[in-house]
Formats: sequence, C-alpha cells, structure tokens
Amino acid sequence: MSDQTGKQMSKEEKDARFEAELLPVLDPLYNFAYRLTLDEDDANDLVQETYLKAYRFFDYFEQGTNAKAWLFRILKNSFINEFRKKSKQPAKVDYSEVEGYYNSEDVEGESGVATTTDMRTESVQDLIGDEVASALNALPVDFRTVIILCDLEGFTYEEMAKILDIPIGTVRSRLHRARNSLKEKLEKYARTMGYNG
Amino acid sequence: METKFTEAYEQPASDTRHETDCDKVAKLLDAVVDGEATAEEQTFFTGHLEDCVPCFESHQKQKLLKGLVSGNLKRILVPERLALAIKTKIQATTV
Repeated sequence: MSDQTGKQMSKEEKDARFEAELLPVLDPLYNFAYRLTLDEDDANDLVQETYLKAYRFFDYFEQGTNAKAWLFRILKNSFINEFRKKSKQPAKVDYSEVEGYYNSEDVEGESGVATTTDMRTESVQDLIGDEVASALNALPVDFRTVIILCDLEGFTYEEMAKILDIPIGTVRSRLHRARNSLKEKLEKYARTMGYNG
Repeated sequence: METKFTEAYEQPASDTRHETDCDKVAKLLDAVVDGEATAEEQTFFTGHLEDCVPCFESHQKQKLLKGLVSGNLKRILVPERLALAIKTKIQATTV
C-alpha cells in the first residue's frame, strides 16, 4: 500500500491531482469523441481509453498547462489507431502519443473555450443545429476534426497543430478546404429552404 | 504583327503569377474570422474590404458559417456513469 519509495506522490495524491486537473475536460472530450465516431458507445470507450493512457503518462503532464489540448491529442491518436486496426486487442500505449507535446512554447490556458450563445431551446435553432450537424457529419473525418477543434472548442491554430501533429500551414489549408466543403453543403440546404446564398 | 501577337499571347501567363488583392483577401478569410491574422494582414484585409463589395460579402459569409457551427451545434450530454467509470478504473490502476 505505502510503497512509494522514490516517488514524490502517493497514489491517492496522484489520483486526486489527476481528477482535479483532467476530469473537468470530460465534457468537451466526450463531445469530440462523439463527433469523431458518431456513436455513443464508441465515444464512451474512446474517452475511457484516453483517460487511462493519460493516467499512465501523467508524470509527463506539466501541471497547470493546457490539459484540454493534451487530452484531445491523446484521444485523436487513439481514434486513428482504433480506426486503422479495428481489432479489440488491449490498447498499447505509444510513447509518440505523448512525447513531443512540450517541445515548443507553453500552450496558453483555457481562455479559448467556445462561447455558446443563449441556449434556450428554440425550434428554429434546433432545426438549424440538426442541419449543421448532418452537414458536418457528412464531411471526411479530417475536415470534420479541424472544424470541431476550431469552431466548437475554440483551439488556436498552434494548439490544433499540436493536437493533430501537423504544421500550422497544413492546419490553415485544411481548415480552408473543410469550410469550403461545409459551405457547399449548407448552401445546398439553404437553396432547398428558399434562401439564396 | 507577328511579334505583337506573341507578346499578347504571352501576357496572361505572367499575369497569372500575380496575385490580385481579392485573391489575398480570400486566403486570409479564415485567419481573420478565427482571430489568427497578424496586425499587418488585418490592416490589409480591412482596407481592401472598404472598397470591394464581393470580398465584403465573402467575409460576412465566412463569419456566418463559423457562427453556425459555434452557436448552433448541440452539445452532447456526457453519460452520467462515465466520470465514475473513469475514476474507478484509475483507482484500480497500479503504476
């Protein structure tokens, strides 16, 4: 039980710190997982797997830095691995999923959380929301991802580059193409509703 | 006559290499709506929009598109038991 020789923290302390720092990200993380997998059970599994990996690598996490971006990065990598080999083997932790995260300047805090507008349920707003969701879901996953990270979660280009492991230039061009696709789909919808783009 | 024809023919080729201000603005649309443009880019962008109606309109459209996603996409409720399931798994994990 108390064999913490050489470790600075007891397991209880570590668990408490882990929960305090990382569990507040559960809501956006689950939403991201759902938007990627489009399935509640898969999202559930993906989020649990992400937290387990994060726990194993928690020593590499620098307290007070951007927990949200760190977790999003782990989740996105898990999703890609899961997607590639749809087998149910025990999840292997790939060190590259967490390393390299801190190799540039500190990521800013949580200031970029997407501001949601007044959420009183209005049927028109629901209707638009459903339409935006289905247009978004129809996009290729790479396109969907950048739009969610940017517009829904409010990540900066620099944070997105880290989460996705791509250069900022690629973030820009991917976002540009993703928005063009989304625009196309929504304009089609607007026309059927009698609006002119 | 013949040389003139060649010149006129070659002209568009060099023209395509030159980016118009509208092209530059189109490339900056995302950075501007995302608040990622540099001060210099922002100044150029704003200046151009003052006398270009099509670019002004595409900026409006881009803002609308971003707003549609950030303001209308419903958030999914996290299953109630998920947080507890995670805590339980973490506590059972020995490092």
